[in-house]
Amino acid sequence: METVTFATQNVWTWWFAIYLFLGGMGAASISLAIATDRFLKPHKTLVLWGVVGGVMMLNLGSMILFIHLLHHTAVLVLFTPFAIINQPGAWIAWGTQFIMWVQIAGLLYAMSYLRESTFWLNFPLAGTVIKSTAFARIADFGARFRGLFAWLAMLAGFGTAAYTGLLLQSFPAVTLWHNPAVPVLFTVSAFSTALAYLMLVMLVFIRNREDHALQVLFERTDVLLLALELFIIYTLFNFTLSGSESGYRSATLLWESPMWVVGFLGLGLLLPFLVELRSLLKGWSGSAPMVIACILILNGGYILRHMFMYSGVYAFPW
Amino acid sequence: MTHYAMVIDLNTCVGCNACMAACALENQTPVWADRFRTYVHDRESFSGNEVHRHFMPRLCNHCDNPPCMSVCPTGATSKLSTGVVMVDENLCMGCQACAMACPYGARYEVTYKDIKLGKEFYGVLKRNAPSMDKCSFCNHRLVNNELPACVSTCVGSSRLFGDLDNDMDPVTKLVKSGKAVPLMAHLGTRPNVYYIPAR
Repeated sequence: METVTFATQNVWTWWFAIYLFLGGMGAASISLAIATDRFLKPHKTLVLWGVVGGVMMLNLGSMILFIHLLHHTAVLVLFTPFAIINQPGAWIAWGTQFIMWVQIAGLLYAMSYLRESTFWLNFPLAGTVIKSTAFARIADFGARFRGLFAWLAMLAGFGTAAYTGLLLQSFPAVTLWHNPAVPVLFTVSAFSTALAYLMLVMLVFIRNREDHALQVLFERTDVLLLALELFIIYTLFNFTLSGSESGYRSATLLWESPMWVVGFLGLGLLLPFLVELRSLLKGWSGSAPMVIACILILNGGYILRHMFMYSGVYAFPW
Repeated sequence: MTHYAMVIDLNTCVGCNACMAACALENQTPVWADRFRTYVHDRESFSGNEVHRHFMPRLCNHCDNPPCMSVCPTGATSKLSTGVVMVDENLCMGCQACAMACPYGARYEVTYKDIKLGKEFYGVLKRNAPSMDKCSFCNHRLVNNELPACVSTCVGSSRLFGDLDNDMDPVTKLVKSGKAVPLMAHLGTRPNVYYIPAR
């Protein structure tokens, strides 16, 4: 009975990391874009980038998960709210609802903006749909209850971001996952990557000088989120390095991985943190450093989830 | 009430794997992919010039607080009043969250391909849908007052099956005496498979 086998899992691998990454970032992008439009500065272009981009990310991530299901038609039961009444402890049931509602509310919020966008009106096929009467009616409905849909999208977006961590936390056998730091870490990371995505869009595609104050606010927020992420990582290691062999082995796996140490901690967190800090204190002459910092944050966001999936250690008593 | 439990005596398990074979035939598991509802691990240890072999049979622990059930989004995993944890293959979408949650590695997948191969291998296959699968304590036998296939076939009587709500049951006595202990009790899963450690 003393024999113990330590093993990592091969059930949810890189594809699940992509789902967690795109799900968290996509939902947080919708939340942040709508929150910006409602409370900071009316910004239709940013809403369209946030919502359309977010919906694409969420669908791509969900599609990857769907492909890997064993029994595809059985998933239909999750699309009704009864799924969470039936299984209130199952985070996938909650997550499906969050993902569904953040997209519905986000699109209803943004549909009237789509009708004003020359780019989307001229877009093949999509333009035809946008110009249709049915689309106009739904868009008008969305515009009439814009406040309601804004709150629904923001809350469901936050729920989706938090769900990605809460899901991992619900697996008791793995110390790296089953602790309170994980949902907080994944939520903070989701919003940090979403900010990086929105900043990247503003710097590369929108490029409007009037957005400078908004860009600075995003940078300030992201600096705080990155600092918070570093602190959570520290507490997580403080926790896993003692207390259980499973946790210790997970921590060792992470620390011995150049992908984690260099790719995530160094290039995905610390370097962007310093670049953004310098941007806030002294500024940069061009946008290139901030563009690179945003790309590194996005890269780091994926690596965090990838490494988490591969470093969860089970301790089997045989 | 009935509360089923199993005791496995590691001193009498000889590693013949008859339990695996009986279970595989009874429950038509995808043996071609090396996936079984019960599995006997074979380990060697060394002390000086002596080599010792240890056998460790494992299966679903039918926990009273099963993490596989709480994470199941469709409700495909449920617990019967007898304590048996069951999977409804028609409800299961195969997200495999149960496999991630189970500390005992008791879950495995049955894919579309396995269904096809199963029909060729077993002739008539009892299941039609792919899903996650695991031991059911042979619930279909229990309702007919039969023992699980692994228990009835165990040549060394290493596996004992009984009712924890019956104080006179040998299994209950072994559990209450503390001779039989659960695996990883610290996780709070409250398993119903107990082991008598090897001396």
